Amino acid sequence: MAQSVGSRTPRASGRLRWAGPLALLALTGCAKEGISPTAQDVHQLYTVIMILALPVFIGVEALLIWCIVRYRKRGGDDSPAPVQSVGGNRSLAVFFAIPAVIVAILFPFGEQTLMNVQAAVTPLVKIHVEGFQWEWTFLYENEGIFVSGKTATSTTPEEPAQMYLPVDEAVQIDLTSRDVIHSFFVPDLLFKRDAIPGRDTSFTFTPTTLGVFHAQCAEFCGLWHSHMTFDVHVVSSADYQAWILQERKAFASVTCAPNGTQLALVAHNISWNQNCLAVPAHTPFTVQITNEDAGIQHNFSIYDSFFEKQQFFTSPRLTGVASETLNVDGLPPGHYYFQCDVHGPAMSGAFVVGSGGSGGG
Amino acid sequence: MAVTHAPTAEAVPEPRSGLMSWLTTTDHKRIGILYLINSFAFFVIAGIFALLMRTELARPGTQVFAPHAYNQLFTLHGTLMIFLVIFPLLAGFGNYFVPLQIGALDMAFPRINALSFWLLPVGGLTILSGFLVPGGAAAAGWTGYPPLSEQLGTGQDLWIAGLILVGTASILGGINFIVTILRMRAPGMTMMRMPIFTWSILATSLLVVLAAPVLTAGLLMVFSDRQLGTVFFDPSRGGVALLWQNLFWFFGHPEVYMLILGAWGVVTEIIAVFSGKPIFSYRGVVLAFLLITALSFSVWAHHMFATGAVELPFFSITTELISIPTGVLFFIWLATMWRGKLRFEPPMLFALGFIAMFLIGGIDGVWAASPAMDFAIHDTYWVVAHLHYVLFGGTLFGVMAAMYYWFPKMTGRMLGRRLGIWQFWVQIIGFNLTFFPMHILGLRGMPRRVADYPPDLGWSFLNLLSSIGAFVIAASMIIFFTNIFLTLRKPRTAADDPWGANTLEWATTSPPPVHNFDSLPPIHSDRPVFDLRTQHEGGGS
Repeated sequence: MAQSVGSRTPRASGRLRWAGPLALLALTGCAKEGISPTAQDVHQLYTVIMILALPVFIGVEALLIWCIVRYRKRGGDDSPAPVQSVGGNRSLAVFFAIPAVIVAILFPFGEQTLMNVQAAVTPLVKIHVEGFQWEWTFLYENEGIFVSGKTATSTTPEEPAQMYLPVDEAVQIDLTSRDVIHSFFVPDLLFKRDAIPGRDTSFTFTPTTLGVFHAQCAEFCGLWHSHMTFDVHVVSSADYQAWILQERKAFASVTCAPNGTQLALVAHNISWNQNCLAVPAHTPFTVQITNEDAGIQHNFSIYDSFFEKQQFFTSPRLTGVASETLNVDGLPPGHYYFQCDVHGPAMSGAFVVGSGGSGGG
Repeated sequence: MAVTHAPTAEAVPEPRSGLMSWLTTTDHKRIGILYLINSFAFFVIAGIFALLMRTELARPGTQVFAPHAYNQLFTLHGTLMIFLVIFPLLAGFGNYFVPLQIGALDMAFPRINALSFWLLPVGGLTILSGFLVPGGAAAAGWTGYPPLSEQLGTGQDLWIAGLILVGTASILGGINFIVTILRMRAPGMTMMRMPIFTWSILATSLLVVLAAPVLTAGLLMVFSDRQLGTVFFDPSRGGVALLWQNLFWFFGHPEVYMLILGAWGVVTEIIAVFSGKPIFSYRGVVLAFLLITALSFSVWAHHMFATGAVELPFFSITTELISIPTGVLFFIWLATMWRGKLRFEPPMLFALGFIAMFLIGGIDGVWAASPAMDFAIHDTYWVVAHLHYVLFGGTLFGVMAAMYYWFPKMTGRMLGRRLGIWQFWVQIIGFNLTFFPMHILGLRGMPRRVADYPPDLGWSFLNLLSSIGAFVIAASMIIFFTNIFLTLRKPRTAADDPWGANTLEWATTSPPPVHNFDSLPPIHSDRPVFDLRTQHEGGGS
């Protein structure tokens, strides 16, 4: 048995090694086609590298198989040892020259594609994207709306954040992170960029294919990294406008009336239990914060809006499970916004300061 | 200059057997064997972690491991395989064979040698002990990026402490190798007559001494951020998250070459021996090793293309340049076989498998070297495929070649040929079944380090294939360990030079005496044992 296995070795190895290039060839079709012109450039770069790499792969493996078949020591071969030949400087120079030529051809292709990918365009839509453990928030800077994902709770399933984009319009993503490093990865754009805390980074692209595309965090970010998904909807201009209107209406419809000066707010599964709070004007009030998320930090802040231009109140971070009562000074009447600064708009709501000044509601 | 002559009697004779003699040994051969035993023990642990991961990923949804457990598994799989398996395996062969290959009595600093070994199991167990503390073991990936690694619990501190021990061990070992190779060579053993494996260990040691302290410093900085309130990496307190990546990869890319140079070295020698020819261009191999050693310090930020914070064209061109000396190695291996007489003994099978598989790992890295393409495949399963074609298809095939090649020298017993051939075929099939589909998964957008994946993205079938392949690999390893177990029960019958080899370790008995050589042959070339054999006419088989 051992002998027969041994003697079949060269031929069997030949068969196995030819499966490699065929599989590699099949790979050309595996790369995503891309839903933007720059993504299609990257797909083309993939094919160019394949065209350069495949001959190298086939050539080296073929030479290897040739040596195995042609130069194997045959049974009963008593001829003298092979010629003890070694190569000189010339063959060494050829060995260096061949890969050098390939690199010289390859590098400019890569650079050209890189310039296309990084070319500046004037965006119609600007979206400020924040990653946090373990969801995404998209703030549409010109439209004045935001969307955010919701982690699953015992009663509700996970709701990944939905990003709507108008087709054929340039989009600029301004990216950052609220906690650890994440990565904004849309496979069909053939692009990702790391979302790094303390650092803002931007890129642009122009989606040209209608559809819904899966996307998710690509940089390992802790416990629920694998659930940090979002969907990219590329829609017609009309559908995009309709979506914006609908989201704006949803925001405007959130309202509530003051009912006393003692507020209570519970954080559970990175969500507040209320999306609207109200107090009477010019009256100090208290907020009792209960953080039910073990090991996770939350705090409570009041701003003018989710653009966080003006801060009216902020509390230190509270690590769960814990509870505390905050004392807040009175505010002039108006519409405000509250959030947990650790998680941003994903944990936020409307904060209404009633005009009456009295505690009624 | 060199100082090896007939051995003098030891003032205190070393105990010859028993557990104490192994625990207290300073003999480089015994330490080398301890390295191998320790590395294979951690290999089994880290391999089981991989099987558990593949079990979870075989189907979408959570079946066996919740994310908290899965994240610990992949973190420790990577950490152990890199720091306690692959590198110490090569260091173990280095320990055993570098002094023999250069005709030395022992390493330059035998006690430091013992220390650098014993730090390894201590460091490895420190990392593993994370499973015993509340919150579990480290779970920030083998790259341990802050701020995530500053959030996690005590397991992360144990990971840092363990890696500092392991890193210290490798720095001590690196210095020991450099001094041994530069100062302890036998008369006639000039630098350009040293075996290629010794050259590869020299290059590895230079990388270790220059790069490993950077990792150790970085680890201390994370530790002091976590425990002493310093602010290096946490942006919420004014630190810079990316600083760690620059430090880590300044170590981490030379690290890749620390993990493969030794395998290149032994494969180069095996191909020459089993082709019956000298290495086609000894100087070419040495030149390639030195160029790669130098260039490997200029490519680190290609791990950071997607951060948008590095000079893309510079790190792209340096990365592509490093493929030139690597390509030269392939040509030299092929030219060495050209017009030779190839014998397909197990060491040669694994060396040929090494060439065929490492080639794929070299080529699929070219896509990742081009930044625009890397934006698409970075942090996806493409990268997982690439690194396993390099470290498993490359280094581990090379390690197996070395095991079959050197086992008779280390134990006096030949590993079984039939089981070796079976292992080779099962291993190469299982390996490709596991890792080739990961290329396609990466292109289809599957990120790495996910405990779960959606069922509707077309990733399920390829993941199942990959998981089946992992168990085929496990079968090949069972064959390997069975072969070792059966062989160790047989009598010591191996010849001094069973393969008709070239280098000095084959000029002594199998296994060698404590003092390595009773007498050294004259050294007039890089193949002193070949010269000796051909002078006496005829002794090869």
